[in-house]
Amino acid sequence: MIAKVLKQVLLAGIGALAASGAIAQGKDSVVICQTLEPPILDPSGGAAAAIREVTYGNIFEGLVALDRNSKIIPALAESWETSADGMKYIFRLRKNAKFHDGTPMTSADVKFSFDRAVAPDSKNAQKWIFQPISEIATPAPDVVEITLKQFASDFLYGLAWGDAVIFSEKSVTKAATDPVGTGPFRFKSWNRGDRLTLERFDGWWGAKPALGNATFRFIADPQAQVAALLAGDCDAHTNIGAQEAVPQLKADPKLTVTVGRTEGETIVAMNNAKAPLNDVRVRRALAMAVDRKLVNEGAVSGFGTPIGSHFSPNHPDYVDLTGETPFDPKKAKALLAEAGFPNGLSLTLRLPPPAYARRGGEVVAAMLAEIGVKTSIEPLEWPQWLERVFRNKDFDLTIVSHVEPMDLNIYTRDNYYFGYKSEALNAAFQKIKSARSDAERKAAFEAAQRQIVQDQVNIFLFMLPKVTVAKKGLSGLWEHAPLPATPLAELRWQ
Amino acid sequence: MIARALRHPSFLIGAVLSLLICTVALASLFWTPEDPTKMRILMRLKGPSAEFWLGTDQFGRDVASILMVGARNALLTGLVAVAIGLGFGLMLGVMAAQMKGRWIDDAIMRALDFVFAFPAVLSAILILTFLGPGLVNAVIAIGIFNIPVFARVARGATLQVLARDFIRAAQLARVPKLVILRRHVLPNIAGLMIVQASTQFALAILAEAGLSYLGLGTQPPNPSWGRMLNDAQTFLAMSPRLALLPGLAIALSVLAFNLLGDGLRDILDPRLEER
Repeated sequence: MIAKVLKQVLLAGIGALAASGAIAQGKDSVVICQTLEPPILDPSGGAAAAIREVTYGNIFEGLVALDRNSKIIPALAESWETSADGMKYIFRLRKNAKFHDGTPMTSADVKFSFDRAVAPDSKNAQKWIFQPISEIATPAPDVVEITLKQFASDFLYGLAWGDAVIFSEKSVTKAATDPVGTGPFRFKSWNRGDRLTLERFDGWWGAKPALGNATFRFIADPQAQVAALLAGDCDAHTNIGAQEAVPQLKADPKLTVTVGRTEGETIVAMNNAKAPLNDVRVRRALAMAVDRKLVNEGAVSGFGTPIGSHFSPNHPDYVDLTGETPFDPKKAKALLAEAGFPNGLSLTLRLPPPAYARRGGEVVAAMLAEIGVKTSIEPLEWPQWLERVFRNKDFDLTIVSHVEPMDLNIYTRDNYYFGYKSEALNAAFQKIKSARSDAERKAAFEAAQRQIVQDQVNIFLFMLPKVTVAKKGLSGLWEHAPLPATPLAELRWQ
Repeated sequence: MIARALRHPSFLIGAVLSLLICTVALASLFWTPEDPTKMRILMRLKGPSAEFWLGTDQFGRDVASILMVGARNALLTGLVAVAIGLGFGLMLGVMAAQMKGRWIDDAIMRALDFVFAFPAVLSAILILTFLGPGLVNAVIAIGIFNIPVFARVARGATLQVLARDFIRAAQLARVPKLVILRRHVLPNIAGLMIVQASTQFALAILAEAGLSYLGLGTQPPNPSWGRMLNDAQTFLAMSPRLALLPGLAIALSVLAFNLLGDGLRDILDPRLEER
């Protein structure tokens, strides 16, 4: 009798479990795991890639967007025209686009958002996007005319970035914690340190997304990421940190693994403004001591793509410069001696938390030791890293991945953390901006790529891979990351 | 006493194991099978072979060599942390005992109680967030939290000794206090302190492993058993060996020094001798 009851209870329990499992996977909701949690949710208020990974194309939209193939596609603007001289853009906005609070999105919101981005108190991390603008006119609620003061070949491309999304004046002040955008998903709740949930916005202008609910979970520890995937707690992880677990994950019949590319140039950044690294011979020596192929193997299990300059091989104007600073410890030693360090030197290597940095750091330190450069490794948490390395420039060497696409312009910034300044590069960069033909642009890009290698600003290692792991049946995830994003409207269960 | 030691199984096992670990650590000063920091990335995660006795780690370094140098770091941590704890603890404990009943005794002991009230490893983490991570700071932090342990034992033992007749006799003969301390008190409490040192030694090794596991102790490329464990985590499915070996090393060392301590207690305990 007891056994019978027990059996029934058990069966009921299993049934309930199976049912709840079915609901959890429910073909209508998804749990996306990612490594970092966004500090805020306002994409115009900070540089953190995690903000865009959650909000881009989900909560917020720009006039245009990048699709998974890095192609510029219409978003809030359904079409646009460019004047023959490239100095004027006319955008026609979607008439049925509205914010999550119900107010319609109009040309006034576009003007407000772009004016706000260049305002003196703006925290926008990519002001360059808006710098060429001289005037924004709003002849009709659904027409925006933007006149440029200087030609910018990458103007439209910049507008596709997460930093150029459209806000409503009414709700922008609370965008950091309670964002109101125009995208297919609206913000629902945020349990800091753990998860953030979004729900479908039924007033979206586009085709109704398949998913009704989406949860972003934040798991920083690489081992915990793998465990969560194997346990089924995550429907997908957008880029796992433990690339060495790929064979194990691939062997799991419930999961699919894809290895794609990000736009993350992973570099050993050097403090160009501080002795002894202000000497190009020392920087070159360090670069020649590092075998980037082996760092790629040791840091990300060889899934990265080696690079020779701060430029992505995904871009049509990429030039392979990996041969410019070949691995040559002998020559590196000679260069060090020439620069006045025949007995080597000691440097700090301050590392942020990601596995690529911590592991890459150990490998780089071992390689530098071979030419007599002693490094003291200091692991830092992100807030410490941002404070000490990025803001206060208190470092000799660090390893970090610059995940923004097309971010060569960081080398033209005054007062950027690696302390590089070059008139030659600035000139090359101006040429890129003003290039009117593909050939012109290609030549200018090549000159810029070569310039930073010639000055050996940093040690260029590899492009960070994007290892996506998902449950079988979940489709629509981006294989590559032309910019940090996980557009939920493209996901569906099969 | 030696005869009794030889008949004492846990002392024997503890002594042999500790000796073995110490020998390995000392040997690593002069010789390791391979350079423990030498990376051979294309040879990574290889199983044991004639060339690499215990295989290679995620960077293709020789695991046997890393373990050997790790032993050195573990023992060094134990030694210095215990020295800090024993040095200060003994001084403070004996001083407190001498001053029993006066405010200074209370002051010392309450201050030490305060330190003792914090869980040692948590407190070490706290200290390291101020001092910054690193082996030296970790050893200091572990040492600081050893002080109250030794001080308490030293105070209790000293009080017991001070109450005995021969001290009374010496005091009546106007033997100076310091001489009494050196001739009569210290030799009588030495056994207890050695036993305590052995136990704390094991705990210090464990604490260092824990701190290094958390990334607060020994920094790369300096090998540490605790960090080996941490590094091994994501490789568990492919090379469980990478986690098992340092785990085994930590467990064996802690066991060895605890057994040694237990054995020493039985052998050195004056009451047992009288029986």
